[in-house]
Amino acid sequence: MFYKEVSKPLLEAIDKHGSRNAFFINNEYYTYKQFAQRIVTIAKSLENIADTNIALITNDHLDTYASIFAIWFSGKAYVPLNPETPAERNQSIIDQVGIKTILNSDETRYLLSEDFQASLELLETYTLKSNFETQLAYIFYTSGSTGIPKGVMITKKNVASFVEAFWAMRRDINENDRCLQMFELTFDLSVMSYLIPLLKGACVYTIPKGQVKYSYISELMDEKELTIALMVPSILNYLRPYFSEIYCPQMRYSLFCGEALHSDVVEEWSHCVPNARIDNVYGPTEDTIFCTYYTYQRAIMNETHNGILSIGEPMMNNLAVVFNENNEKADNNETGELCLAGAQLTPGYFNNPLLNQEMFFTTNYEGVSTRFYRTGDLCLLRENGNINYIGRKDFQVKIQGFRVELSEVEYYAKKAIKEKTVLAALAIENSAGNYEIAIVFESMEFDITGVKEYMKSKIPSYMVPTQYFFIKPFPLNNNGKIDRKMLKGMILK
Amino acid sequence: MDKSEILEKLRHILVSVLKHEKFEMRDDLSATDVDGWDSLTHMIIITEIEKMFNCRFKLKELNKLGNMGTLIELIQSKL
Repeated sequence: MFYKEVSKPLLEAIDKHGSRNAFFINNEYYTYKQFAQRIVTIAKSLENIADTNIALITNDHLDTYASIFAIWFSGKAYVPLNPETPAERNQSIIDQVGIKTILNSDETRYLLSEDFQASLELLETYTLKSNFETQLAYIFYTSGSTGIPKGVMITKKNVASFVEAFWAMRRDINENDRCLQMFELTFDLSVMSYLIPLLKGACVYTIPKGQVKYSYISELMDEKELTIALMVPSILNYLRPYFSEIYCPQMRYSLFCGEALHSDVVEEWSHCVPNARIDNVYGPTEDTIFCTYYTYQRAIMNETHNGILSIGEPMMNNLAVVFNENNEKADNNETGELCLAGAQLTPGYFNNPLLNQEMFFTTNYEGVSTRFYRTGDLCLLRENGNINYIGRKDFQVKIQGFRVELSEVEYYAKKAIKEKTVLAALAIENSAGNYEIAIVFESMEFDITGVKEYMKSKIPSYMVPTQYFFIKPFPLNNNGKIDRKMLKGMILK
Repeated sequence: MDKSEILEKLRHILVSVLKHEKFEMRDDLSATDVDGWDSLTHMIIITEIEKMFNCRFKLKELNKLGNMGTLIELIQSKL
């Protein structure tokens, strides 16, 4: 299946569109020919390596992307490591997976590229000799509530199933498309953003490190006339003050994922991309990139809940079912936890049987024994088949689309202060309408320079709190627990 | 308004938004050189500059901002 959905179409794209551009990276174009040559060169260097899980330093280079396919075609899986993430956290991932090989692109020590014709033949041999069906494609680490990141394993079959389901949505992407890839490669929305265009001979436009993202994206949309863009809604919030200056008639598909998408922003955005089909797609890393979609309807009422656009219906070969507290299928309009099953579902977390037991369950669903994943997302199903997002049932929040467990932030904040001060991490909305993390200490004000430095050295930048407050005493609810809602109200005053 | 006056006002905005003074106001200073200058603070800094100098930037102008030098030129063009 991976051969049919991924390897074969990519080889065809390389063969047919060799002299067309595959990538635009840091102001430079690279052709499919160059890309193929780099894949083969890197794959050759992996030939004598026995390990199956290879770490990949997520730079913004052609070789970074070529490495992904070299790793896949060599029968291996990649584990992305962001070089800007604190070393200790990356080390914890390396230790957890038992990684022995790390690929890092280096412009000063370049492996010599293979000849193009030889590359094509070699690629064919590689893809034909490997049995992809049982292999992992990648392991992506996300925030874990106990302070240790958890690794989501995604198989090549999962990826192929995503590709198959994506095409079933009938989005006709071709070699003339120019597609945005705005995601850090440790975030699985990046996989859709590079993979789908490459399978059709289209060109992928990346964001150089250190750029102000929303600004660079709008520049690409304008100057490069992008035709396809998957973005997180927080980019829209940043661009919103400038919507009147944005006009991209060439945009064909505008997709949003990773956070709740508000219908009023989309309505305004729809005028910036007058010819685009706008989709709100949804899915956790555990269900391979995304698994439900809702197409925004211009000029007629859309399905919304509290101003949040519906996440729609499951994609092909996916199940998205709302379960109530008794672990039974909820009635229509009854709020419950969204649970996912089907061809894109992860086999589980890497080496974490306890968590696997907690997050997955098998039940008889419509006569078939089915394995489900509990998303933690509260949703309800409407009579028209659309699923509406209500909120979270736990303390997970989304910061620029990244999942953050507030308890993990609290864990590190507690380690940062020596005294046993009570504290709480909260997600608060900033002036752009995006969320950021605040820490509230139950204490008189003290110097938090050390706390900031400690947090920066332990967790990725999107998890580091940007605001600090001091409130004493904390409001408590009837159960004697911190009343987070009231606390939030107090700091926002 | 001369350049040094603009620089001083900009420094003041950066300190108040970023809450530190660990940077030097040079022409070639860029966001990547400054701790905490990301998408979010960039947006806040731009809003504060617009308020301070009573002007409004176009998205295209903001996209072309490379460093402190180009920012000052842009502000001067608006005054």
